[in-house]
Amino acid sequence: MRKRRVRTRVSSTTRHVFMILAVVVSLYPVLWMVVSSLRPDGHIFNNPSLVLNTFDTSNYTHGWNALGRPFGVYLLNSAIVVLGAVTGNLITCAMAAYAFARLRFRFQRPAFAAMLMTIMLPIHVVVVPQYVIFAHLHMVNSFWPLILPKFFATDAFFIFLMVQFIRGLPRELDEAARIDGAGHWRIFGQILLPLMTPALATTAIFTFLWTWNDFFSQLIYLTDPNLYTVPVALRSFIDAQGKSSYGSMFAMSVVSIVPLLLLFAFGQKYLIRGIATTGGK
Amino acid sequence: MSLAELQRAARRTPKVAAKPDTHDNKAALQFLGPWIIGFFGLTLGPMLASLVLSFTDYNLLQNAKFVGLDNFAHMLTDTRLHQSIKVTFTYVLVGVPSQLLVALFLALVLDRGVRGLTFYRSAFYLPSLLGSSVAIAVLWRLVFGGQGLFNDILGWFGVSAATSWIADPSTALSTIILLHVWTFGSPMIIFLAGLRQIPREYYEAASCDGATIWRQFRHITLPLLTPIIFFNLVLAIIGSFQAFTQAFIVSNGTGGPTDSTLFYTLYLYQQGFGQFRMGYASALAWLLVVIVGALTAVNFWASKFWVHYDD
Amino acid sequence: MRSTVLSRRSVAIAAISLVAALGLAACGTQNTPSASSTGAGGTTDTGPTLSSGDVTLRVNWWGGDARVQRTNKAIDAFEAKYPNIHVTGEFSDWNGYWDKLATSVAGGNAPDVVQMDELYLASYAQRDTLYDLSKLSQLDTSQLDPGVVGLGKSNGTLDAMPISTTGFGIMVNDDALAQLGLTLPDTDTWTWDDLSAFAKKISDASGGSAVGISPMNNGYSLRLWARQHGEELFTDGKVSISTKTLAGFFQLALDWTKSGAAASASHQAEVASVALDQSDIATGKQVLSFTQATQISAYSAAAGDAKFSLVPIPTDDANKAPYGYLKPGMYWAVSAKSAHPAEAALFVNFMINDPDAGAILGTERGIPSNPKVVDAVSGSLSATEKIAADFDAKVAEHIGDAPEITPNGGSALDATIARYLQEVTFERQTPADAAKAFTAEIQDSIDSAS
Repeated sequence: MRKRRVRTRVSSTTRHVFMILAVVVSLYPVLWMVVSSLRPDGHIFNNPSLVLNTFDTSNYTHGWNALGRPFGVYLLNSAIVVLGAVTGNLITCAMAAYAFARLRFRFQRPAFAAMLMTIMLPIHVVVVPQYVIFAHLHMVNSFWPLILPKFFATDAFFIFLMVQFIRGLPRELDEAARIDGAGHWRIFGQILLPLMTPALATTAIFTFLWTWNDFFSQLIYLTDPNLYTVPVALRSFIDAQGKSSYGSMFAMSVVSIVPLLLLFAFGQKYLIRGIATTGGK
Repeated sequence: MSLAELQRAARRTPKVAAKPDTHDNKAALQFLGPWIIGFFGLTLGPMLASLVLSFTDYNLLQNAKFVGLDNFAHMLTDTRLHQSIKVTFTYVLVGVPSQLLVALFLALVLDRGVRGLTFYRSAFYLPSLLGSSVAIAVLWRLVFGGQGLFNDILGWFGVSAATSWIADPSTALSTIILLHVWTFGSPMIIFLAGLRQIPREYYEAASCDGATIWRQFRHITLPLLTPIIFFNLVLAIIGSFQAFTQAFIVSNGTGGPTDSTLFYTLYLYQQGFGQFRMGYASALAWLLVVIVGALTAVNFWASKFWVHYDD
Repeated sequence: MRSTVLSRRSVAIAAISLVAALGLAACGTQNTPSASSTGAGGTTDTGPTLSSGDVTLRVNWWGGDARVQRTNKAIDAFEAKYPNIHVTGEFSDWNGYWDKLATSVAGGNAPDVVQMDELYLASYAQRDTLYDLSKLSQLDTSQLDPGVVGLGKSNGTLDAMPISTTGFGIMVNDDALAQLGLTLPDTDTWTWDDLSAFAKKISDASGGSAVGISPMNNGYSLRLWARQHGEELFTDGKVSISTKTLAGFFQLALDWTKSGAAASASHQAEVASVALDQSDIATGKQVLSFTQATQISAYSAAAGDAKFSLVPIPTDDANKAPYGYLKPGMYWAVSAKSAHPAEAALFVNFMINDPDAGAILGTERGIPSNPKVVDAVSGSLSATEKIAADFDAKVAEHIGDAPEITPNGGSALDATIARYLQEVTFERQTPADAAKAFTAEIQDSIDSAS
């Protein structure tokens, strides 16, 4: 009896030690990047330690203006795109989800199947024609190609997420409201939407995350440096002129992920719950 | 009104007679309108246009020229395409299982009960959150470069290697695979949620019968987890085939030394947006759809042999 | 009843979207008549005129720090001379420049004035993206040697205006050689074996901190190699270098990598696409480097004003037939869709013909294509610029006619050379196999583009 208890205590300690090591190894690259951004250029390489001897913010001031425009411009551009994308997704995906979850209509089954299939579709098969369409509409080199599709519920993943959520809400609520004379829009807007805040929050947060990091689309559509979003600007940084300052590159990299870290800090609950329940990325 | 109150109110009202199935068509059109436009105009339409384009030579600046099956014939002799397929398959076949194994292992350890579970879960998720960003790809490129952090750490262990891991064709892809494995946090959370759903009584009953931890894992945990493993596998495969950012940034858009990190989507980008061979790029995109579709279908078919669903 | 309404409407929407998507995909862009480069305009057409209001021009170029500073100064001078024209300059490194240009041209928002290279000239010209400069009266081409202007022409249209010409040679870090206590062999008569041996000597003497040289890795050097063997890289738009000669080119790279005259294969791969300012020669890790003669200014500045000199490349043929040529360093071109072609032409005219601009720009982009500007600036050349100018004069005896520009579809030439060099130096392909595969790949690209 005693032997087993000792064994569980030992294995529990080893587990703890192991987990702590795993966390350290896992977070080490990010921590090192943050620490390096606060070191002067000469002290970055051949210096794997995480101990900060100097708190040097010159990399930040230097990097902020290194591309000829203050980095804030790029942060703002990304913010605009993200805001547009989140708004579009929230509105149109919720609407579509209501239709799939609560309405009965012709072609419902095939439409739902089609919607599910688009979740798994590689985007590259629509990228070229979409680019051609936007080019002919003279919308390339603007934020429109990045925002407009979100207003047409093209992120089917969120439709699916919301459908699952709505299905969990009792139909009796709808019925009760209908007895009171409410039409579909009132049921949707006043009854269901307020109850859907967790799903809406998850949608908003994941849209933010994916759009902030979306390099490919922003790379092909944004050619005017004034419109660069953060990922494209950061890539430009690597190509940048002058003696490459790794310090300022790290500094701007840290700046570029700060919004994600904030998102993580405040939206953790929804992020993790969202992944656990629907398998989001 | 709270949810509970609404529910109570609803239960008090008599049920209304069921409406006919197509009653909501008009409302559906309103709610589904944006999606319909998006589906036909931004998804299905472009997909078909892409199919048509794949039979043409189109550089976006001049009219498209019909060339029949030339693009597809070209695929058969395009050595860079073959290389990109090889690189991408290697990435998927090595990276996906590796990442899932690490995720599963850590989920199991966490599930056995570790204090500070929420801390660990968040800590491991962070790399997943940042993993697809340009910033991390840039960091990776510097860490595995000739003067990079990785070589410094190897130096601690007495291994002196002055080579750049990303500039050597035999190791370049491995660094990107490592980046993928590093982002195990997301599937780990899914596994953890799945593990949580396995009733404790099963384990208690088994250990009463004298089953070892390993046997418990093999006969209780694993079978009950198979749906989630399957789900993770399908999504991971579909996602990894489309990996772009890491390959682009680490190789600076070139595809790496001797094309060793020429991912499929990177090659597609080079052809479509570098050389403006839009026709060929469309053909490549459809090939990707076919490959991913075929693999997913195989996945689903194979699942009946190893995935146990609750009956 | 309602269901059929839905189905009819949705079918209609589907059909319209489909047709729209297909139609837009299939139709080409609208070509404005003035931008057509077929040269079929009437003789009475005087071309676009300058506007009196405020105009903003966008100008793109690639280059290092030194070029950015000089160009910006020249822009200031231009704006002072023409107060109603405002110029926004965009610059980037060579590597990212072409990707961005391609996307912006395809997206219909190309800059008004673009710096162009012969590698890409044919592909942009043949896709009707460049304005026929002969139609723009604001650009005076008469001051240049017709042969030089001809380097920017194709099918009777003037696609781009040559900015400069440059020779090709080996740049030597004299300070580093002195530190190592080595002296160059006679570079007027040296052979490739002499160079190989000397480069190895440098690597050995430096004890690992620097290497002698890095292999030739671009179209210019490959063309010189071909011509030294009595061949041409391209003839009539086709690859015409023999696989044997090409294999020799790759073999040299392999020999240098193995002997230590050049850095390891992976190091070469690592620095292949870095900016000029971070290259091995600029950071003191390499002592000799193949380069366009006029890049000496940029490299010297990047290397902290180390003392560099230029020497001719080796040759194995004692008779020394004229293998060299003056490559157009780069061109200025005007976008076919530019909203202000007249002002753009004015800018190009200023940059090429105006002595004030010439004085500011010096020979940083190469020896100016306008002989009058060369005369005007020869007195004010900096030390490194003088070296470049003298070098061109010195190797004049080796200079023959310029070869064909890279054909349409061949703009991946430099990238392909780099990749096959990697295949060979990492010993994944023999030089002979690489030569065959390279030829097939480049020829295939050219064939599919036309």
